[in-house]
Amino acid sequence: MSQREYHIVVLGSGGVGKSCLTAQFVQNVWIESYDPTIEDSYRKAIEVDGRHVILEILDTAGTEQFTAMRELYMKTGQGFLLVFSITSMSSLYELTELREQIRRIKEDDDVPMVLVGNKSDLEEDRSVPRPRAFKISQDWGNVPYYETSARRRANVDEVFQDLCRQIIHKDNRVYRQPPRQGKGGAKGNRGPRRKHRGPRCTIL
Amino acid sequence: MDGFMVETEEVDKHASAFVAPLNIQKSPKRSRSREGRHTRQSSSRGTETPSLRSQSQISPPLTPRASHDDLAQQLPVPPQPVFHNYLRAFYHFHPDATVSSSTDQSSITVPINQGDVILVHSVHPNGWADGTLLASGARGWLPTNYCEAYDHATIQSLLNALTHMWDLVRDGENGDLVVFTKQDYVRGMIAGVRHFLERTRCLTRDSPLIIAHVGLRRMRKGLLGDLSSLVKTAKKLQEILQANEAPVPVFEQLDELVLKAFKLVTRAVRFLDIWAQDAVSLPLDDASNNRPPTPPSDLADHSVQPPTTSNQNDQDVVLANDYASSVSQEVAAATEEELDRAKPQPPRNLNRISVAFSIPSEADSLQSPLFPPHGQAKRFSVTHRLSYTGKSQGPRMQNLASERLNAAHDSFLGFIGSFIGLHLQSRSSEELTLTTQQSVIACRQLLAVVEEVWERDSRRSEPLEQARDTMYIRLTELVQATKDMFSTSESGFNDEVVMPDSGKQLVAAATSCVRSAGDCVTKARFVIERIGDFEFETFGLGLSDTIFEQIDQIAKDDVEEIAKPESSKQPETVLETDKPLPAPPVVERPMPPPLIISESKPLPDVPLPSPLGDVRLSLQPAHTIVESPTAVSHRSSRSSLPPLTQLPTPHLSQPSPSDSTQSPASATQRFFGKAVRADSVNASVADTNSTYRYSMRGDTGSVISQASTRATTPDHSPAKTQSSQALVSSFGSASELRSVASDDMTAVEEHLLETTYAHELIYNKEGQISGGSLPALVEQLTTHESTPDAMFVTAFYLTFRLFTSPVQLAKCLIHRFDYIGDSSLVGVPVRLRVYNVFKGWLESHWVGEQDNAALGIILSFATGRLRSALPAAGKRLAELTSKVTEIRAGALVPRLVSSLGKTGVANTVFTPADSNVPSPSVTRGQLNALRASKDGRSPCSILDFDPLELARQFTLIESRLFCSIQPDELLASEWTKKHHSKAVNVRAMSTLSTDLANLVADTILQLEDAKKRAVIIKQWVKIAIKCLELNNYDSLMAIICSLNSSMVLRLKKTWELVSAKTKARLEELKIVTDVGRNYAVLRQRLQNHVAPCIPFVGIYLTDLTFVDVGNGTTRQLPGETGREGVSVINFDKHMKTAKIIGQLQSFQVPYRLAAVPEMQEWMESQIQRMHASEEANVQNYYRRSLLLEPREPPQVPKVAPSPVESSSQSTFSADSRTNSKDRFEFLNFSFSNNAVKDR
Repeated sequence: MSQREYHIVVLGSGGVGKSCLTAQFVQNVWIESYDPTIEDSYRKAIEVDGRHVILEILDTAGTEQFTAMRELYMKTGQGFLLVFSITSMSSLYELTELREQIRRIKEDDDVPMVLVGNKSDLEEDRSVPRPRAFKISQDWGNVPYYETSARRRANVDEVFQDLCRQIIHKDNRVYRQPPRQGKGGAKGNRGPRRKHRGPRCTIL
Repeated sequence: MDGFMVETEEVDKHASAFVAPLNIQKSPKRSRSREGRHTRQSSSRGTETPSLRSQSQISPPLTPRASHDDLAQQLPVPPQPVFHNYLRAFYHFHPDATVSSSTDQSSITVPINQGDVILVHSVHPNGWADGTLLASGARGWLPTNYCEAYDHATIQSLLNALTHMWDLVRDGENGDLVVFTKQDYVRGMIAGVRHFLERTRCLTRDSPLIIAHVGLRRMRKGLLGDLSSLVKTAKKLQEILQANEAPVPVFEQLDELVLKAFKLVTRAVRFLDIWAQDAVSLPLDDASNNRPPTPPSDLADHSVQPPTTSNQNDQDVVLANDYASSVSQEVAAATEEELDRAKPQPPRNLNRISVAFSIPSEADSLQSPLFPPHGQAKRFSVTHRLSYTGKSQGPRMQNLASERLNAAHDSFLGFIGSFIGLHLQSRSSEELTLTTQQSVIACRQLLAVVEEVWERDSRRSEPLEQARDTMYIRLTELVQATKDMFSTSESGFNDEVVMPDSGKQLVAAATSCVRSAGDCVTKARFVIERIGDFEFETFGLGLSDTIFEQIDQIAKDDVEEIAKPESSKQPETVLETDKPLPAPPVVERPMPPPLIISESKPLPDVPLPSPLGDVRLSLQPAHTIVESPTAVSHRSSRSSLPPLTQLPTPHLSQPSPSDSTQSPASATQRFFGKAVRADSVNASVADTNSTYRYSMRGDTGSVISQASTRATTPDHSPAKTQSSQALVSSFGSASELRSVASDDMTAVEEHLLETTYAHELIYNKEGQISGGSLPALVEQLTTHESTPDAMFVTAFYLTFRLFTSPVQLAKCLIHRFDYIGDSSLVGVPVRLRVYNVFKGWLESHWVGEQDNAALGIILSFATGRLRSALPAAGKRLAELTSKVTEIRAGALVPRLVSSLGKTGVANTVFTPADSNVPSPSVTRGQLNALRASKDGRSPCSILDFDPLELARQFTLIESRLFCSIQPDELLASEWTKKHHSKAVNVRAMSTLSTDLANLVADTILQLEDAKKRAVIIKQWVKIAIKCLELNNYDSLMAIICSLNSSMVLRLKKTWELVSAKTKARLEELKIVTDVGRNYAVLRQRLQNHVAPCIPFVGIYLTDLTFVDVGNGTTRQLPGETGREGVSVINFDKHMKTAKIIGQLQSFQVPYRLAAVPEMQEWMESQIQRMHASEEANVQNYYRRSLLLEPREPPQVPKVAPSPVESSSQSTFSADSRTNSKDRFEFLNFSFSNNAVKDR
């Protein structure tokens, strides 16, 4: 069976170190020279619960000001890492807006998601109390909350693993659904959609 | 001339040397018993310093220093292989000797001698390493437990340089020869030697150590000679490459290069050996000796410390005598002197060397075929009938008759070639004398070999005899001709220059000599093949005395008459030492076999009667040994290697069928060899696949070298001859040093004395600089040889503020200016370069607010040191400093990172602005409408205008911003700073693009009528298409984003009214703007574009961010295993940054489009309206979208009755998002995503 490919989007305001998180995860143990301009720069094969999957990570670090682009990015994602810095309360607040946007675009309240408090190595500069962050993750529907240190590579893999597990679970739920039940949910919507797709294909 | 000095020297040393209780024997006393040695071993082990002991414990498996019993006890402990680039053998390993006849292994394993240094390519988990012997260039498997890591700090940078060069050469064989057009790699070698000499405090000729120690002086000279020869070869290669000649000779040069480098390093290692033992203990008066760069205690820590001096000298002698080609009077002189010097040394060795190295040096001679145990090999096997011209097996093969014949012939041709060459060029008589001598000597050796062959032949081949006699006569003629010439030239005007006439005569004589020699060799070879190859086990034996004496006489006459410029001692030496050649002096030889056997105890059992060479040869009917062509068989052959622990047993070479199936698939082999090397670069200790390929490197090397030596023709330049000679690793010979023209030596020495930081540079595999200390980078910036790489320079200018400060840079440049001043050769050009760097900085890369701090330093430098050295430059620089302060903006000219960008600008900027500019597609009515709109009378709509013109004008607006982005806006994530960001233009770009996206949404969502909305959508799609045509990706992205946003996309009724054609076009645009696979489509397109173009800036911003976080700020200098490495600037990171910025800049070219100010004004006002509006945000638009087309009530409960269910529907693998969205959106535009994915 070919490897499944999942799309993960890393979001968060500038300066929370999300690119560092991504770079740490994507790079293997030691790459002397990391080139982010090639196609595979953000792909990584991992194993989650015995399943081999490929993660393609979209991290638009550096383009936070292109707010109009956000939706474009979000559309591609099946799972989202929402990253803030434990040293900045505002970076956590900004995530709320992002989460709303994700839910709106996905039209889904149960998008696989992980809340990540980065820079845990800067404990002395912490301005987001852990309970506070945890509370928010609870409010979001029991979204898992992790504190990471990209610099020390602490919890980096775990975060991606957790998110990937969520995506897989969701996948499995769909697969495990009895055909009838699945039809009840999905078919009604799919029917008309297919109709629209047909002619478009021919045009293309 | 050193004779006397040596002796006094020795006395001195004697006095100060009796530190160690133990004795290392010089060769004359080599008969010293094995018990003596054992005692020494044990006692020394007992008395070693703790640090030493701990050292040896660190790598236990590498040191089978105990007896067999000990080894057996160690068996259960598997060796822990640690990858080192270099190993040093401290035992002999001669696989053939342990095997009787089954020995395919012998073609694979490479024999090593104690003290050999090995460049390791890979280490198999079983402990065998694929390595190349520096001494011979032979490559093969060798047991790591016979070796120890060799990474002494002193020599580390030289070793690193060698590794780097090896890698480059490997790449070069793959056709990547660009690096060889530059001399960077040679600079690395030079810097390595320099660093090495510096650390040993032997850098200058006048250093106390060099003055005090004859051996070191000699070695240092040798080192310089080697270096100079290496530099020459590199230059030659560079010339060849620049001349674009056929690639074939290039490979020859590459091999030559590597062998020269090997030789250089080998010599350096020996230098270090001597130094470590003697030099550090020399009673150097001054305080400096108290703080040597590498203190003796430090040395003792490295159990890698070399074998004893005596051993070295033995090898010296062996090697020197072994190579006929290297024979000259110098060798012998040098050897003797070294021996003299070394004699009194023994007592002092032991406190310095580790246990591991107090191994008997006798073993050396035991296993060298030069010293076969009595009667052993005489007329041994006649198993093969071909002369052996295959891979270079190092010195040990050399005493086969066929080998000797070849070597003697080669050397003869080499010398006579240079002899002829000299005459053609009418050189000075001194040089001529030397080459004449060499030629005669070489010829004599050849004759000696021929004679021996003739003797062996029971039939006493007549043709051979005749040929020999002819050759003898020719030689006599040649000598006579030389004599004649000298007498004329001396009786004449005492002129140094040879008369042309006699020169001609001489050349004729030499040529005929060559011819007869060729004839003679051919016949001798024929005889050898008839009678079978044999070994020269004794020297001088069997040589016809008459011939010998005659030739001696000739030589004597010749030398005595000719060699007047030489020291009076030399002719004597020549004759004495020549006689026993190619064997070592008789004194050295005798060696009681029983002792030898016991001496070699820790080694695998050595079956005495095994004649190394013959066994090996018997399996190699072809000249080159080729392995079986398949990887599988390689692997299997490898797996048949015994585990390392079995090494010392005779199992060593179990016959492996696959190995014996040798096929001539040399191409395959070559391929594999490379593959292995590539695999092993990263220390693939556990790489089972990196099995061994037989020594293809050494193989090709030797084959080629032979070819090149043979190809000696009259027009062969002396230099060429020298170099081919150098292929033979006759590092013990001084002949070659002597013949390196003295001015070259001086040049190299001068070169060497230059302060340099080149050892602090790191190169990547492409030969680009990937790291270095600031001084090293500055040095690279100011090389004299070639203009530095443009990319490097621009990257440096652009990014230096990230890794240093302007003040520091200025200081460093001035430092460079100062320290290079001493060099007469390159001082001036380098100083000019320094000036140019300053000039470039001030003229085009000055960032006022940061760099002004350095202005004072630069000004005082300009008016001070620079002006006194280069007045005009000083004046100009001073002017520039004042100019810089006047212009507040900073740079005097716009900064451009890449030359590509420059040409782009040049092409477009200088074309007349109005040529070929398309006329705007705008009517008078439209213009009027715009004016009316401005007055606020009647608002315009985008529908009122031609989409093309709208796209053009918007592109112009955007292009203005894009072109004004400065490179420093893109550094250090400047644009992400929330407050006081200096990246104004980058931020303006992102704002503009966001505003445009909002404008698109606004124009659509402000209309109540779905039909009108559909029309607007169509118009925007048209504009987007035009933007794409204009290569304006930034605007394209903004428009597509907006059209694709949920608030627009969900307007089901609207999209129903949009034509299928428009939708299809929109799909195409979406493919272009797809973010998937790291913007693969967009990147692909951008690669092929030429300016003008407005790329999506976001890509660059993300790339820059990730280059910054994904690459460290420093990197470690390679090597120095187990030590805290030195961190240097990770310049690779900055190169990457500069490359990305350079790409962006290459697009920074204004569009040649006519502006329509009215339209631009209107558009800007629209954009501005968006910008100012509080409502222009996603939430508001979404709300408005919901108002326009409310959610369809029936669908909502059905579609998302519970979060779980809805989510389950939305996750059908990768395109799940499509599904979930489609439940709500009437139209699905994610088809593009799928399309992309499906490809």
